[in-house]
Amino acid sequence: MENEEKILNPQESLRIIRETIDVAKKGVQENGFHFLLWGWLVALASVGEYYLRQTRGGTEPYLVWAIMPLIGVPAALIYEWRRDKKQHERNLVREWYGLVWLGFAISLILSLVLAIRNQVSPVPLVMTLAAFATFMSGLLMRFKPLVLGAIVLWIGAAVCLALPMDVHVLIQAGGIMLGYLVPGYMLNHKARQNHV
Amino acid sequence: MFKELDPMLLSQLRLAIMSYLMVVREAEFNALKEETGASAGNLSAQISKLQEAGYIGVEKTYRNNYPLTLCKLTPKGIEAFEAFYADLKTYFNQKGG
Repeated sequence: MENEEKILNPQESLRIIRETIDVAKKGVQENGFHFLLWGWLVALASVGEYYLRQTRGGTEPYLVWAIMPLIGVPAALIYEWRRDKKQHERNLVREWYGLVWLGFAISLILSLVLAIRNQVSPVPLVMTLAAFATFMSGLLMRFKPLVLGAIVLWIGAAVCLALPMDVHVLIQAGGIMLGYLVPGYMLNHKARQNHV
Repeated sequence: MFKELDPMLLSQLRLAIMSYLMVVREAEFNALKEETGASAGNLSAQISKLQEAGYIGVEKTYRNNYPLTLCKLTPKGIEAFEAFYADLKTYFNQKGG
């Protein structure tokens, strides 16, 4: 834009608005990093717990869940820190996206404590909360595969009601693969195409 | 006859700045320069005009000891952009109908 004060006509005005908003929107897109990171960690921990429970029993199988935040939290924080350094602007969508997942994390911790205390399976609760946060992310980013992923997670949570507790983690692994990893890879593919 | 369009937004660069800020919450001067392709002098002049009109707020701060200019829309700016966009739509509807 080398012009100093070009006066626009209505057609040109509309074109400028559309073009600029398209450029700005590219910065709003996520590349699916968090869905891939947490998707793989939850899927592997779920299968790991099931395998250890079948082969060893006792409380040992639950220890696989302790490994998940030990890997996930530092990886997520380093990623966000590096992205913040590169970022030249703040945007509303990304802020809301962060707040939705912060709300999810707080609800998740409380739900896990409540489930353990009441000796009920935490899986349907976790899947319901993850479905809600995924649903909101899909709406915020206007990315339909995430909305469909959320529906898969809600269905998974409902299916758990009809199944014994032992297999809940397998439902969780399947739900996370379809509800997190598939849309996560699609988001990543889309971001690569747009060079985000 | 359609409503007169806001002359403050009938400039290519000022409209681009406002459209960009409608999506991102706030932007650094350098990001705006990069996205609009404008020269620093022209961008600075148009930002000053938008600031004088009360459409954007400019905050001068520091990051890692480097000066940083942050621009963001004011509520008046958001209202003006929305009114401008609504007037444009009315113009095209009247023209089409």
